[in-house]
Amino acid sequence: MDSRFVEAFVNWYLILIDILLVLGIIYFLKLPKEKRANSFYWLPFLILSFTVFYENLGAYTLYDFEFRKAANAFLGNTENPRFNIWIFNIGNKHISTILFLFLIKSWLEPYKKKYVNWMIITFFIVILILQFSGIEPVYLNQPLIFTVGANLILLGSGFYFIGLMTNEQYLSVNPLRLLSFWQMTFILFTYSLTYISSASLMYLYTNYPQLLASLLKIDWVMGVLNLAILVLTVASPRFPHLFEREPYFEFKQSKNTEKVPDLSPQI
Amino acid sequence: MNPTEDQIYVIIFSTLFLGGLMSTFVVAMVFIHRQRQAQNKQRLEQIKSEHEKTLLNIENEIQQETLTHVGRELHDNIGQLLSLAKLYLGSSKAEKQAEGRETINQVITEVRALSKNLNLDWVESLTIPEFIEQQLEKIASTGHCKVELEKGDVSLNFLPKDHKLVLIRVVQEILNNAIKHATPDFIKVQIYLQNERHIIEIKDDGKGFDTTVASDGSGMYNLKKRMETIGGEFQITSSVGNGTLIHLLLPN
Repeated sequence: MDSRFVEAFVNWYLILIDILLVLGIIYFLKLPKEKRANSFYWLPFLILSFTVFYENLGAYTLYDFEFRKAANAFLGNTENPRFNIWIFNIGNKHISTILFLFLIKSWLEPYKKKYVNWMIITFFIVILILQFSGIEPVYLNQPLIFTVGANLILLGSGFYFIGLMTNEQYLSVNPLRLLSFWQMTFILFTYSLTYISSASLMYLYTNYPQLLASLLKIDWVMGVLNLAILVLTVASPRFPHLFEREPYFEFKQSKNTEKVPDLSPQI
Repeated sequence: MNPTEDQIYVIIFSTLFLGGLMSTFVVAMVFIHRQRQAQNKQRLEQIKSEHEKTLLNIENEIQQETLTHVGRELHDNIGQLLSLAKLYLGSSKAEKQAEGRETINQVITEVRALSKNLNLDWVESLTIPEFIEQQLEKIASTGHCKVELEKGDVSLNFLPKDHKLVLIRVVQEILNNAIKHATPDFIKVQIYLQNERHIIEIKDDGKGFDTTVASDGSGMYNLKKRMETIGGEFQITSSVGNGTLIHLLLPN
């Protein structure tokens, strides 16, 4: 095997997320058709597939320098053809953040969903303005876009946790047995633990590459945990005793056939 | 310590600080959730116990009324019939004795009908519209006022027995109040479906009253409370001289 290929693809992070994708695909394909069409399952599966895709694409650009150089040139970066940060800007900082906002939205009470819609629109506009005005080119680090995205994710998580404490439907369940709780917790930790290192990425890359590599390990560990909980979400019908039913999932799934669990006393 | 080292420490400590802050936040959320869950459970139990109390009161009221009714029937109706039967059967004339036996048969029928009132099984066999119809017929038969019922195809069969009991008492109370306090010439009851919600509308053209003035009794408050215990609503519109309009919004 080509040593550059091994260097690019054979590391614990990529191997683990590839395994998680395989597990995710198996469990997703085993789901009944109606469940596969439900955003409770397909949205986590989409995030999982997309993350593994762009991480592998990133590894591929390390292996194929010519492709990396051509892509950089296409984006207007002829100065640093070695950079492949554009993949992570588009994949992680833009699209994944928007997908995570959609995931957060799916766990919120109906009246709070509109706030997340506005957050997504705002974030999209911020990306367009900062990128096309040349303030933060796509082939360089984008601390402003990351900061805005991370703050919106933290705000969305805040909405979820407020709902967890105030909504009667959430008050009737054990949060530690809710998939949404663990998803939110890991998203919250991922964005807060990588906040500083992502914002100061270029500075660390230039001055302290070893420290950056260490800090990025946190990102990798949190990334694996995030994807693992997404796989568990897709596989959750196989473990009915492990997790409790999500209050708002019930509502979305069976709007026409079942009612939201009524918490008023059974009289 | 040189400036670059400072920056490194700032980055490391900021990351650790944010991590710690988020851990504290999540743990705090779980603890607060547990506390609120316990409070919520207590509140729900309180509501449930209040509901059970209301239901018990209503059953007692109905049984009390039933006993009063049975007592009155025994004294005024069955007692009279039995006295009459005694007179007939004591007669030497054959036709009078036959009339006496006929009267005894009538007494048997009346006793059977009366015995049905002694338990609450009639609540299950009777629908709310049928009950309202019976009540309005009773009012009409006294000659106090004219009555009208518009029920359409609505049967309200989806209501469980305990909800029906509460609703029966509420309707009975409203009609009694109208007769007792408003002296109307006309009472109209409508049962209809609006915006996927069943509504019972009771309207009279009686004296009416000022709903903003607190009354001495707790009648309206009790009616409102009772409707709330079954997940329904009680709405009243009235003014002096303009009659009273009551809407009972039933639980879905």
